[in-house]
Amino acid sequence: MTELASDLYMLVAVLGLALCVAYCGQPVLCQGAFVSAGAFGVAHLLGVGLPLAAAVLLAVAIAAVLGGIVAVLTIHLPRAHVALSTWAIAWLAYTALQSFHWLSNGADGLSLPVPIRLHSGILHLSFTLTEGVHLGVAAVLCAGVIVALARWERGVAGLQAAALREGPALAGTLGVPVRARRAVALICAAALGGLAGAGIALLASAAAPADVSPLLSLQLFVAALIGGAAPRVWAPVAGWAVVAAIPHLAGSIAAAAEVPAVGVDGVLTAALLGLVVVLRGPVGRLLPIVRGRPRAASDTSDAGAVVPGTLVARGVSVRLGDATILDGVDLEVRPGEIHALVGANGSGKTTLLRVLSGTLRPTAGQIEFRDADITRTATARRVRAGVTRTFQRPAELPSLTPYRQVRLAALARGRDADGGWALELTDLDGHADDDPRSLTGGEQQLLQVARAAATGAAVLLLDEPAAGMSADERQRLRVVLRRLTERGVGLLLVEHDSSLVADVADRASLLDGGRVVAHGTPHEVVPALTGSGTSA
Amino acid sequence: MTGAVAIQTVVSGLSTGSAYVLIAIGFTLLQRLTGVIAFAHGDLAIGSVFVGVILLLGSAPTAATLGLASSAGLAIVVLAAGALASVLVYLLAVRPFVPRVGRAARGWDVAGWVGGGLAAGLLVRALLGLAFDQDAYAVPDPLHLSQLNRSGLVHLPGGAVVTTRTLGVLGIGLVVGLLAERLLVASRVGVRMRAVSDDATAAALLGLPVRRLTLLAFAVAGALAGLAGLLIAPGQSISVDSGVVLGLKAIAGATLGGLGSIRGALAGGLVIGLIEAFAVQASFLGPRYADVLPLAIVVLALALAPLRSRAVVLE
Repeated sequence: MTELASDLYMLVAVLGLALCVAYCGQPVLCQGAFVSAGAFGVAHLLGVGLPLAAAVLLAVAIAAVLGGIVAVLTIHLPRAHVALSTWAIAWLAYTALQSFHWLSNGADGLSLPVPIRLHSGILHLSFTLTEGVHLGVAAVLCAGVIVALARWERGVAGLQAAALREGPALAGTLGVPVRARRAVALICAAALGGLAGAGIALLASAAAPADVSPLLSLQLFVAALIGGAAPRVWAPVAGWAVVAAIPHLAGSIAAAAEVPAVGVDGVLTAALLGLVVVLRGPVGRLLPIVRGRPRAASDTSDAGAVVPGTLVARGVSVRLGDATILDGVDLEVRPGEIHALVGANGSGKTTLLRVLSGTLRPTAGQIEFRDADITRTATARRVRAGVTRTFQRPAELPSLTPYRQVRLAALARGRDADGGWALELTDLDGHADDDPRSLTGGEQQLLQVARAAATGAAVLLLDEPAAGMSADERQRLRVVLRRLTERGVGLLLVEHDSSLVADVADRASLLDGGRVVAHGTPHEVVPALTGSGTSA
Repeated sequence: MTGAVAIQTVVSGLSTGSAYVLIAIGFTLLQRLTGVIAFAHGDLAIGSVFVGVILLLGSAPTAATLGLASSAGLAIVVLAAGALASVLVYLLAVRPFVPRVGRAARGWDVAGWVGGGLAAGLLVRALLGLAFDQDAYAVPDPLHLSQLNRSGLVHLPGGAVVTTRTLGVLGIGLVVGLLAERLLVASRVGVRMRAVSDDATAAALLGLPVRRLTLLAFAVAGALAGLAGLLIAPGQSISVDSGVVLGLKAIAGATLGGLGSIRGALAGGLVIGLIEAFAVQASFLGPRYADVLPLAIVVLALALAPLRSRAVVLE
């Protein structure tokens, strides 16, 4: 019974970690450290005479604060560095516990007062925490977290998590506050880890460094990673069921082969980790995608209504080291107009898009939108203000149906905003609930435009939307672009296809060596482009 | 701290640091070449020493002096084990998760190679742990660094005294480290490796044997880790688990050096050695901080790294 209660407590930590690892795609390797914060926290707090409930709450709070600190240290890093940093944190916590006696009483650990009694003066209630009580509490906690996670996954937050996991760069352009979401996930994971640690310490009446070694962090990571390619709430539960069996299996193998159990434990964990990372891709691709629609959007009244705004770049320069990528670029995207940006490869088009969309801060110059300076505004806030971009390569969200993708983008307008109109606008409404991987290359490009439009942005920056399109699809794109401008949307069109530019653009700017060298109607500018010998 | 103690601390710090440098250079080489963080690299350093020990001395080693033949045998086996293990880690745990040359960067599976590297390191520790289950082992020194002179001690100017071993480790570590740095910058193979690390696809189109160069880099990095293990292990009591923290200390050096610069890794490794030595000596810190400080440096240096690049990314 003790072991089952202990495993159930640890499942709470696994479910918390799954928020980061499986849902948000952050490889966090220090859940064991948060578990130890809860375990040693509750031991110390009971030791100084705090009542049980206060000690547990405070220990969880300590773990959550540590989670916040780790968030500050890691949310801005690429995934590989997140893994390295949190792995170092796992060992830092373990080493600190072993080195500082006041923290953990060395390798012996701390023992908790026995028996532990819960006493409430208000309710006139007093009972002892027996194994049975622990089992009940742990089961209720697990059930509560599973239900909450399942609800969260089905709701709009699940859509945002999918974007964080499958396209972090894309998520920002759809208005998802990437860092804030990652931080919240990490803090929740840490708090649940701390809760698990506190429960286990109370159950065992002890907290010892050896129980929270980095091996535990790895095991929790494996359990959370199972099903990471297409997360479902049952995946971490099943994962932990497998991982929790390892020590028992290791014990029997070790006894039979007369070798140390710790070693067998490690070998089995390593084998499972290897198996999981090899299989998660293929298995994830086999799982059917979720086609259900999250809580129906209620706000369909102003579907796609756009508040027009003008985007202005003034004297924008970008220097990287000694190289000047952009040099005093002036540009204006007006409501209802298509402004084509043309130029050879390496002329600075993509860099300008990054500056305008907020992923790169210019060395000099200003970006203004609706007469407000947005030069230092982060991508997600820029999207909600009304400026977003698309990517040259179709940035996929393979686990979300087109409907779910535009619904996700529409969240930038409000929790209940609908995005279905954007699919109609791009003639993709027939594919609304299809597997996005079944769309043609051209349809994926149109879906990108639909997503960007669904954010409600007044200015869309389109990076070669016609790339990889058939002649037919190009014709569809022209229609879509015209529909957008009729709604008052301003478009910046980065495009190599000079016939498309000549056809649809109202104005054009030619970029060369980071400077605007020609500006005017497409017919004035495009000959200059073809004259400069660019290949499409 | 008196002058003599300060000099001793500096010398022993540089000595430990020079061993970190060997691991950090290999780590940086692999990171530049493949973009992958070698999570198992520290385990290779300690693991290859234990492999050498179990093959030649059995599972209950003592720090006894070895004869010439077994010394040479141990040294060769350790270096070879490091190189071989590193290549195996690449083939089994890294290559399946990174895009093939010429493919777009979309094939990147970060959780895949992170998990693969961690699994490889754990497997090394766990398998060796089946044979070496104690917390501390003494390992003989095949390089006989303490026996270079009769007393085993060297008197430095200013009254400082350090062990001959300290100076020996410093000498070998620095010479090999500088040599590796020079070779990677100037030699033909080094130039080719840099071409691969700048743009593997372009290098392949120019006819460079990218796969062979990558395998060679992993072998060299593994052998360097093995040498670092040979320099560090005999001076202290080690367990099979010592490799992770050792690797993270070297990574701390590489991160301080700017992650991706071989010369930076050289300087960073020495700095970590110095910080560790002074933490141990300082009255307000003490030996407890020897591991804690470098680990904290990994975390902080990584957190601050994006601020160092000139283009500020807002995200």
